[in-house]
Amino acid sequence: MAKNTRGIEVAEIMADKCIACQICIGECPVGAIELSPEGVALIDPEVCVGCGKCFESCPVNAVKYQKKKRTKLPGEERKVPGAGLPGYQGVGVYIETIDGRGAPVSWELVGKARELAGQLDAKVLGLLLGNNVGPATDEAIAYGCDEVHVIDDPLLSHYLPATYGKALSDLCGKLHPAILLVGATPLGRDLAGVVATRLETGLTADCTGLFIEKETGLLLMTRPTFGGNIMATIFCQRHRPQMSSVRPKVFRMPDKEPGRKGVVSRHELEAPAVDLPTIVSFIPSGDFAGTDIVRYPALVVAGRGACDPSSLPLLEELAKLVGGVIACSRPVVQSGLMPYERQVGQTGKTVAPKLYIGVGVSGAVQHLVAIQGAEKIVAINSDPNAPIFRVADAGIVGDYQQIVPELIAQLKKKKSNGKSEL
Amino acid sequence: MYFVVCIKQVPDTAEVKIDPETNTLVRAGVESIANPYDLAALEEAVRLKERYGGKVTAVSMGPPQAESALRQALSLGADEVVLLSDRAFAGADTLATSYTLSRAVETLREENPIDLVLCGKQAIDGDTAQTGPGIATRLGFTQFTYVVDVEWIDPEKKRVQVRRKVEGGFQVINGPLPALLSVELELAKPRRASLPMLVDSLRAPVKVWDAKTIGASLQLVGLKGSPTWVKAIASPQIHRAGPKWDAAQGVSGAVSGALDALFADEDFEAKFRKGWEA
Amino acid sequence: MDETFDAAIVGAGPAGISAACVLADRGVKVIVLERGEYPGSKNMFGGVLYGHHLRQIIPDFVERNCPIERNIVESRLWYLSEEGGLSFAYRDTAFFEERRNNAFTVGRAKFDRWFADQARAKGAVIVSATVVTDLLTDDAGRVTGVKTDRADGDLRAKVVLLADGVNSPLAAKAGFRPEVRPENVALVVKELIALPEEVIDERFGVSPGNGVTCEILGNVTLGMNGIAFLYTNRSSVSIGIGANLADFAMQQARPYEMLESLKTHPMIAPLIKDGKPKEYLAHWLPEGGYDTVPRLCGEGFLIAGDSAMMFNALHREGSNLAMTSGRLAAETILEAIEKNDFSSSGLQGYVKRMQDSYVLKDLRKYRKFPSFLETHKELFTSLPRATCAAAREMLTVDQVPKKARQRDAWKAIRGQVPPLRLLRLVWDAWRSVR
Repeated sequence: MAKNTRGIEVAEIMADKCIACQICIGECPVGAIELSPEGVALIDPEVCVGCGKCFESCPVNAVKYQKKKRTKLPGEERKVPGAGLPGYQGVGVYIETIDGRGAPVSWELVGKARELAGQLDAKVLGLLLGNNVGPATDEAIAYGCDEVHVIDDPLLSHYLPATYGKALSDLCGKLHPAILLVGATPLGRDLAGVVATRLETGLTADCTGLFIEKETGLLLMTRPTFGGNIMATIFCQRHRPQMSSVRPKVFRMPDKEPGRKGVVSRHELEAPAVDLPTIVSFIPSGDFAGTDIVRYPALVVAGRGACDPSSLPLLEELAKLVGGVIACSRPVVQSGLMPYERQVGQTGKTVAPKLYIGVGVSGAVQHLVAIQGAEKIVAINSDPNAPIFRVADAGIVGDYQQIVPELIAQLKKKKSNGKSEL
Repeated sequence: MYFVVCIKQVPDTAEVKIDPETNTLVRAGVESIANPYDLAALEEAVRLKERYGGKVTAVSMGPPQAESALRQALSLGADEVVLLSDRAFAGADTLATSYTLSRAVETLREENPIDLVLCGKQAIDGDTAQTGPGIATRLGFTQFTYVVDVEWIDPEKKRVQVRRKVEGGFQVINGPLPALLSVELELAKPRRASLPMLVDSLRAPVKVWDAKTIGASLQLVGLKGSPTWVKAIASPQIHRAGPKWDAAQGVSGAVSGALDALFADEDFEAKFRKGWEA
Repeated sequence: MDETFDAAIVGAGPAGISAACVLADRGVKVIVLERGEYPGSKNMFGGVLYGHHLRQIIPDFVERNCPIERNIVESRLWYLSEEGGLSFAYRDTAFFEERRNNAFTVGRAKFDRWFADQARAKGAVIVSATVVTDLLTDDAGRVTGVKTDRADGDLRAKVVLLADGVNSPLAAKAGFRPEVRPENVALVVKELIALPEEVIDERFGVSPGNGVTCEILGNVTLGMNGIAFLYTNRSSVSIGIGANLADFAMQQARPYEMLESLKTHPMIAPLIKDGKPKEYLAHWLPEGGYDTVPRLCGEGFLIAGDSAMMFNALHREGSNLAMTSGRLAAETILEAIEKNDFSSSGLQGYVKRMQDSYVLKDLRKYRKFPSFLETHKELFTSLPRATCAAAREMLTVDQVPKKARQRDAWKAIRGQVPPLRLLRLVWDAWRSVR
C-alpha cells in the first residue's frame, strides 16, 4: 500500500471501478475524499489517516486498502500547524447553578480546567449566570477558579436559551477564552449548542477525555461515536473558544480550598430583544423515576440477561445491601421494565460509582464507555464470553438467580463479621 | 400552518460492529435507517397538520442514498421532501450542518412563512443533540428542546405551548412562533404507512437541492465550514480483565472467590464496611 | 387501495424478481410485495447461481455489477465416511473463459437486493416490509388481488403470481397446495466462515475471483437422507448440512451439532482452519420432486419457484428453476394480458411452457429419485464406510500381494453391504434417474 509523507499507509481509489456514488466521501471521517474533475472519487493521501472506512463502505470494491491491526489512541497521526490563536486566553468553565449553588458537574470541570490551564500557563475563568448566585460565586473560587465572571439578574432566574445563550456568548465575546467547558446536563447541552452557534465555533459533545497537545497547545477532545463503538479524537483548529461538553462523573470532583483567592467581576446583562417564552409550570416526576443513579456510590445494574420483573426484588435487596440503588442497561429500558432515568450507557447516564455490579449485562461497548469511571466492577453473566468480563475486577459465570442470593448471603456475613471483629 | 421536519439518515448503530483486527467500524451490510428521533418529529408534524391544517415538508442533508429516508417520510405523511445533496456538504460537523439546514429552511421560507421546525433530539450516530439548537439560533426561532408533548398551538396569536423534559421532571412553557422543537421519542410513535401511501412514496419525485440552490456559502458548508475535525479514531480501550469464576463448579465457591478478588484491596473493603463514607 | 396493477407478485426472491423484470421490461404495471425489510432479508439458499438463466433475464448482468462472489471452475463431489472420504472432481479451463459464470456463488442478501434494483430500474414497484396475508377472490372463486397487513391494504390486480418460498403460507391457505409434509422438505443449516481472500485462493488452488463447490454425501448426515456442501465466496466459505425433515424428527438429531461435527472432518477441517464464523442461517428445501409439484395455475393466479416445489436435489439446482419458472410465468402473463384472459385456461400456457422446459422435464426424469434415497439408506450408513474401507485397503502399500489386497477390499465392502443389496442399489439408482 502507498504511504503518505507522514508514513501512514493510505487508501487509494481504483478509478476504473469507481462509480462515483460518493458514499465514501460521506463516510470519510477526515474529509480526505473528493470527486475529481474526471468524475471519480479521489483520496488526498496527505489527509487520509488510513482508517479504511471508505474501503468498508464502497459498494463496488473500488478501494485499494490493506486492513491492518490498529493499536492505540491518538498517536502521531496528524500534525497540525500553528499554536494557539493570539488574543484568546484562559480556560472557561460555565458554572451551572441549582438554587444558587453550583452543580457538581461544574466543579468537576473546574478541576479539569485547572489541569488544562496549568499546561497552558493560563487562568481558569468561571462563567456564572443566574439570579442571587452569591454562594456559587464563593464556591467557584474555592474549587479552583482564578476569576469568576458573574451576570446576576432577575431575568436569569430561570433558564431560557434566548437569555442564557446571549449572556454566555456576550461574556465569551468580552473575555475571549481559548477553551470553554460546559457540563452536559440537559440544560448544558441545550445552552452549549446555542452558544457555539452564536460564536460560530466548534463544539464537541459528551467528551470523555480532554488533553492539551504539547506541540500546538490545542485541546484534544475524545468522545464516543456510533453508539460508543468508536472513540474519536476531535480538535478545533482555528475557531475560538474550543468548546467541549462533558457528562457528569466523567472527571473527578476536585478538593475544595475554602481560603483560596480569586477575582470576582460583575457584568451587566444585555437582554435579548425578543419576545421571551413564558414558563407556565414545573411538574416533578415520581420517586422511582426521579432517582438520580449518578449520585449513588454503588449500583446494581440489570442487563438483558436479568430483564424480568421477578428479578427486581432480588436486585433491589442486593443494591440496598451494598449501599446503592438499581439501574439498568438500554435493552431493559426498551423492554419497558425500568424507566429511562435508570439507564446506564452512552445514551443514558455515565456513572462512576465505587462499586458496580452488572447482572446479566453483556457489556456492549456503548454501556462500557459509561462505566469506565467505576472504581470496582463485578460482573455476573451466564455467557463466559460476554465482553463485560474483560472490564470486570471479578466475574462470575452462571445463573444470576442462584448467584445473587448467595452473594447477598456472603456479603451480609462479611458486613456483620467486620462489626464483631471491631 | 407550515411545518418543516429535519431528518437524518443514519446507520443502524444497534447493528454496527467493530472489526477486531483493525478496530474499525464494519459498515458493510449495516442498514441505513431514518433516525428514530426524527421519525417521532415527523409523526408529530403530520398529526399537527391533521389537527390544524397545512403542509409538512421533510428535509434531509445527505448523500444520494438518503433519498430512501425521505421516501419513508412521504409514506408517513410528509407532503413534500427535499434532499440537500452536494459534495460540498460532505464532512460537515454540527456547525456546518446547522448552517446548511438553516439555509434550506430559509429557502423554503421564501415561498411560505414557516410556523414550526421539528427535529429529533439527537441522531443515533453522532449523539450530539447540537444541530437543533444550532438551527434555532441561526433562524432566530424560539427554541424548545426535549419536547415530550405539544399541548396547543394558537394559530391566531402565533403561540405554541409544549411540555419538555428537564432535570427532575417536566416544564410546561409557551412561546411565540415561529419555533423549533427538538423532540424526544415519547412525543409520538410513528404510524405504519398505509399501502397506497407506501406505493406512492416509491414513485414520487424527490427534489434535490445543492449549495447554490439554497444560497449557501461554500466556505461555511461541509468540511470547509467545520471548525472541528477528527484527528484520529480508535476502539475504546477498557481493560481490567480480572479473574472469573464458574458457578457450575459450585455457587458458593464462585461467589467467595469473586468477593476475595473484589476486596483484595483493603482500602476498598474498609470503605465498603463503612457504607462508603469518606 | 384504489390503484390497481396488471400483475401482483408475492415474494421478492429469484422467482418473483425474474418475473418482475420480464414484465416491467415490456411495460406491464407490476408490483412485488416482500415481507422482509428488504429483498433477500428473509431468504436463504446454498449460494450457487447459474449464469445462463440470469442472462435470459438480464443479459448484461456482469456489466451491471452483479455482486458475484466467485466464478466456479471446479465442482467436487465427496463421499465421506467418518474418518475419510472419496473425492470426485472436475475442473475445466472452459469455465475460466468461454463458459465463465456458468455457475457462480453469490450472497443472498446482496444478490437479491441487486436483482430487485434491476427490476426497480425497469419500472417494477417493489414494496418491502409488507406481508400478504390472503388472496382476494370474487364470488366465482377467482383470484382478484391480494390482502396485505397495511392500512388500506387490499390490492387488486389482473393476475397474482405466488413466489413466496417453500413455506408459502399463502399457497397452503388458499388451498392451491397442501401443507408441506415433513418428508417432502429438507431442513438445511448453513454457516458463513470468514477467511481472507488469498487464503481461500491458496487452499482451493484457484486464482482470485474463481472458486470451487463441494457437494458432500455420506456418513456426515448421521444416516439420514441428506446432503452437505462447501462453497467458496470471495472472502468466506459457506458450509452447510441438511437432511430430510421427517428423518430429523425420527432421529431427533440436532442440525447445529451436525454442522459442528462436519467442520471437524479431516477433509474439511484444513480448508476452514482459522476461519471465523460470521453468520448462521437455517432454511427449508423442497425435496419431494415432481410428485409434490402442485397445480401451477388457476383462476387468476400462478405459482413459481420454491412455492411450486421446484428443486432438483440430485443436481443441486434450485435457483435456476426458480428464475426460469418466474420467467415462464411472466411470458404466460404477457400472453394473458394480450388475450385479456386470466382464467385457468387463459393461464394454461404456463403449464405447457414448464412441461416443455428443462424444469419439469428434469423434475420428471428424477421423480423417483427422492424415494430411491429413502429406500436405500445404506447410501448414508454402510456404503460410505464400505467404499472408504475398500479404498483404504487398496491404497495401503505393504508386502501383501495385490490379489490378496483386492480380496481384502472386496471383503471389506461385503462386510458392510451384502452384494445382493449392492446390486439392487445400483439397479434402483439407474432406474431412478432414467
